Amino acid sequence: MTDRDPIFEVKDVTLRFGGVTSLNNVSIQQERGEILSVIGPNGAGKTSLFNCLTGVYLPQEGSITFHPSPTKAINVVGRAPHRVARAGVARTFQTSRMFNALTTFENVKIGVEAHQKTGPIGAMLKLPRARHEERYSDERSHELLEFVNLTHRTNTLADSLPYGDRRRLEIARALGTDPKVLLLDEPAAGTNPSEKLALAALISRINTELGISILLIEHDMKLVMSLAQRLIVLNFGGVIAEGTPQQIQENPLVIEAYLGASDEAKQ
Amino acid sequence: MSVQATAPKKRNLSLNGDDVRRMCTAIAGGLVLAIMTGPEGSISEPTYGVKTSLLTSHVIGYLIFGVILGCLLTYRAKVQDGTWRRIRSTPRRTLFERAAAVSSISRYALLAVTALAAALVTLIFADFSGPVTRNKLSVHVLAHQFLYTRTYGYLLLALALWFTVVNQAMRLTTYRLRSIPRPLFVLGAVIAIFFFSLTSDPFLPARFAWRSLNPAVANSLFHHWTTYLWLILGLAISLSWLFKRDRSSGTGSPRRSRALVVTPPMRFLTYVAAGFIVFEAPKYMSQYWQISLFQQIGVFCLLAIGLNIVVGFAGLLDLGYVAFYCLGAYVTAYFCGALPLQPPFHLNPFLIIPFAIIIAMLSGVLLGLPTLRLRGDYLAIVTLGFGEIVYVLANDWTTVTGGSAGTGAITNFSIHLFGVNYAWNPTNPLSYYYLLLGILIPAIFLFDFLNHSKVGRTWAAIREDEVAAQSLGINALKYKVMAFAMGASTAGAAGVFTAVKVGHLFPNTFILQLSISILVLVIFGGMGSIVGVLLGAIVLQWLPSYMNFHSYLGFQEADLYLYIGALLVVMMIFRPQGLVPSRRRRREIFDAEEGLGSADALGAITQEQPS
Repeated sequence: MTDRDPIFEVKDVTLRFGGVTSLNNVSIQQERGEILSVIGPNGAGKTSLFNCLTGVYLPQEGSITFHPSPTKAINVVGRAPHRVARAGVARTFQTSRMFNALTTFENVKIGVEAHQKTGPIGAMLKLPRARHEERYSDERSHELLEFVNLTHRTNTLADSLPYGDRRRLEIARALGTDPKVLLLDEPAAGTNPSEKLALAALISRINTELGISILLIEHDMKLVMSLAQRLIVLNFGGVIAEGTPQQIQENPLVIEAYLGASDEAKQ
Repeated sequence: MSVQATAPKKRNLSLNGDDVRRMCTAIAGGLVLAIMTGPEGSISEPTYGVKTSLLTSHVIGYLIFGVILGCLLTYRAKVQDGTWRRIRSTPRRTLFERAAAVSSISRYALLAVTALAAALVTLIFADFSGPVTRNKLSVHVLAHQFLYTRTYGYLLLALALWFTVVNQAMRLTTYRLRSIPRPLFVLGAVIAIFFFSLTSDPFLPARFAWRSLNPAVANSLFHHWTTYLWLILGLAISLSWLFKRDRSSGTGSPRRSRALVVTPPMRFLTYVAAGFIVFEAPKYMSQYWQISLFQQIGVFCLLAIGLNIVVGFAGLLDLGYVAFYCLGAYVTAYFCGALPLQPPFHLNPFLIIPFAIIIAMLSGVLLGLPTLRLRGDYLAIVTLGFGEIVYVLANDWTTVTGGSAGTGAITNFSIHLFGVNYAWNPTNPLSYYYLLLGILIPAIFLFDFLNHSKVGRTWAAIREDEVAAQSLGINALKYKVMAFAMGASTAGAAGVFTAVKVGHLFPNTFILQLSISILVLVIFGGMGSIVGVLLGAIVLQWLPSYMNFHSYLGFQEADLYLYIGALLVVMMIFRPQGLVPSRRRRREIFDAEEGLGSADALGAITQEQPS
C-alpha cells in the first residue's frame, strides 16, 4: 500500500471518564471506500470510539482527522457534533433514535433538509429558494425510502414501525445528509435472520452503489465476516488485533478476548 | 408465576411512604398556589391574620384541589403498579342488578331516581356558579328555573351527563352515550344549542323567559354574535361525532382514527365563518366588549402565538416571556418621549413597531445564546430570573423608566400620508382592534407556514431527540435561539399595541403572574397548535371579562385563578394535550405516558443520554 488514501485517521486517542479509561491509545486508519468493522466484547469502548469520531465526546489526548476528500483534512477533536456531521460523517445509534412523533417520510426529510440553506424568513414567506429546496428534499426523501425499501411505510409514524424497518429508516435518515462515511452502531441488533440478510445486502449496496465508506460496529460475527474487508478488535479500550476476517478468526488474542483463555493457553 | 400471585388479593390499602409523599406534595402545591395567587385577605397579607385568611374560599378551594389531585394521583399510581384494582373492573353485582332482581318496577324506579338526581344537580349548577355562591337554594328557585329556556338546554346536557357518568359508574343499563343513534344525538345537540342561543348570554345564559320570545327578539337573535358562536360550537360537536370512526374496526391505533378528516370545502367554510365572526361580530358588541376584545383577547392572542413558537414548536419552557412584552411597551414609551430619559428623536407609534420588534428580538438572542445550552428546568429558572430583572428595572430605575409611578402619556397611532389623515381614538376601540388584526392575521399564517416548513420539522426533531438531530448536522442551539427570538419579537409587537392603547404604563402590569397566565393559554389550548392556542387565548381571556361584566355571579377578580387552576387540573388529568392539540405534540405526550421515553416539563419526550 504505497498510495494510501485514508478517510479517517485516529492517532493515539485516549478518553477517560474520571478514573475510568474508556479508550487507551487507540490508533486506527480507515481507507476511502472501505467497509471497516470494529468488534470487541461488551464494554470494549466501541461506542465511545464512535462518539469520539462524531464529536460527541472530547478525547483527552490524541488526534482524529477526517478527510472528506483526498485533499481536505478536518480536525474532529473539539468540533461540535453538528459540524462534524456537516463535514460528511453520518451515524446511526445503538438504540434506535427516531423522531417518534413524525412520519417515516418526515424523518428522512429532516436528514435531507439539515444541510439546506433555507432560513426562517424564506420558510415563512415561501421564497423561491425555499420552494426549490422543498421540492428537492421531497424527491430525495422518496428516492432514499425506495433505496432502503420502505416506500410502503411512507406515512407511518416512526414509533409504530417494526424493529427491522426502524433500523433501515435510521440508515435512510443518515444517508439523507449525503455523507462521505457512514458509522453504523450495531445495526443488526434485535433483527431476525431474514432481516439480517436484507440489512447486509443494504450495507454492501450503500458501499458499492453510493460509494460511501462504512465503519461498522456489530456483534453478529457472520454478518461482520461476510461484509467487512478489514476488522479491528478492541478490548479494554485498546486495539488488540487488526486484519482481514481470515486473520482475525485465527488470532489467539481475539479468541481469548471472546472466549476467555483456554486451559492450554494458560499452561 | 406462582399460584399465590394469581390468587385474589386481600383488600388492603397498603399505603407506603411514596403515597404519603405524593399526597403531601399535592396539598402543599395547592397551598402554595393559594398563597401565590392570593387576593386581599390571604396568607400573603399579614394584616388580616392567619386564621381569617386561611378561611377564605380560595385557600380552601385550593386545598380541596390539592386533596383531590393527591387522591387521583395515588389511585392512578396504585392501579398502575397493581396494588389496587380498578374500581370499574371489579366484577360485582351492581345496585341495578339487585334492583332488577326484585321487580321490573324497582328497576325503572332506580333509573328514574338517578336521572332526576342528575337533572337536579345540573339545575343547581345552572343557577349557582361554583363555590362562591351567595344565593340560597329553595324549591321556589328550582321551580322558577323552568321559566327560562336555558333550563331545557341544561336538562339535555344533564341527560348526556347521566348517560356517560351515572349510567356507566353504576352500570344501570347497557346503554351508553355512544350507542345512541347518531342522527338522534346530533338532533339533541342542535336542540340544546338552540335553547342556549335563545339567550344572548353564552356562558351562563341570562334570564330570558319564554314569554319574551316575540318576533322582534327572535329577529335580533341572529344579529347577536353569540348565536353564531353557539351554532358553530354545535356544528363542531355534531360533526366531530359524525366523523368519529368506529374504534373497534380498523387496524390503526384508535387515537389516530378519531381524527376529523378536513376536506378543502370544509376548510374554506371554516375560513369564511371565522372571517365573518372576526370582522363582523365586533360591530354588534357593546363598547365594554370591544375594549375587552382588543385589550384582553386580541393582544393575548398575539402573545400566545408568540409563546407557542418557543414552548410549542421548539419545546423550551420560557417563564420570563413577559419581559419581552414589557420591553416592547417601554421602547414605545421611550420613542414617544414618555420616559424621563428622552429619546434623540420622537417617532410615530407605527414606526416604533419595527424598532420594538428588533430590540425585543435582539434581547431574545442575547438571553438565548448563553442560556439555551441549558435543558428543561434550568432554562425555566433562568428565564424566570430574566423576567424579574426586567420588571425590577422597570420598577426601580426611576431616572430611566419613571419607576413604579409609571410613564407619561404615550402618543396615539395616527396616519398622515398622501392626504389621508386619521388619528386613532380611545373612544373607538374597534379601530385598534382592526389594526391589531392587521398584524395578528399575517402572523398566524406565517407561523403556520413556518411550522410546516423545514424549520418547523427541525424544531420537532430537536424537541424529540437533540442528540439524533445533531448527528444529522442540525445546529440545535441556532434553532433554539431562533425560536426564542421569534417569540420575543412577537411579544415586542404586542407590547407596542398595549402601550399605545393604554396610554400610560405601570411596571406592575408586567409581573411573573402574567408570564404564567400566557403559558396557561398555550398549555390549555394545545401546545404546538396555532388554532388551539388561539382558542385557548380566546376562551381563557374572555372568561374573566365575562364574569366581571356579569357581577351578579358573585365573581371577584381574585377568584379567577381558582377557576383557572381547577380547569388546568381537570385538563391535565383528562386531556393533557390541550383543547386542540397538534398531531405531533399529542403523539409525544401519549408516547411519554406509555413509557416510550420520559416526559419533560412540557410533556415531550426526552431520551436519556448514553453514558
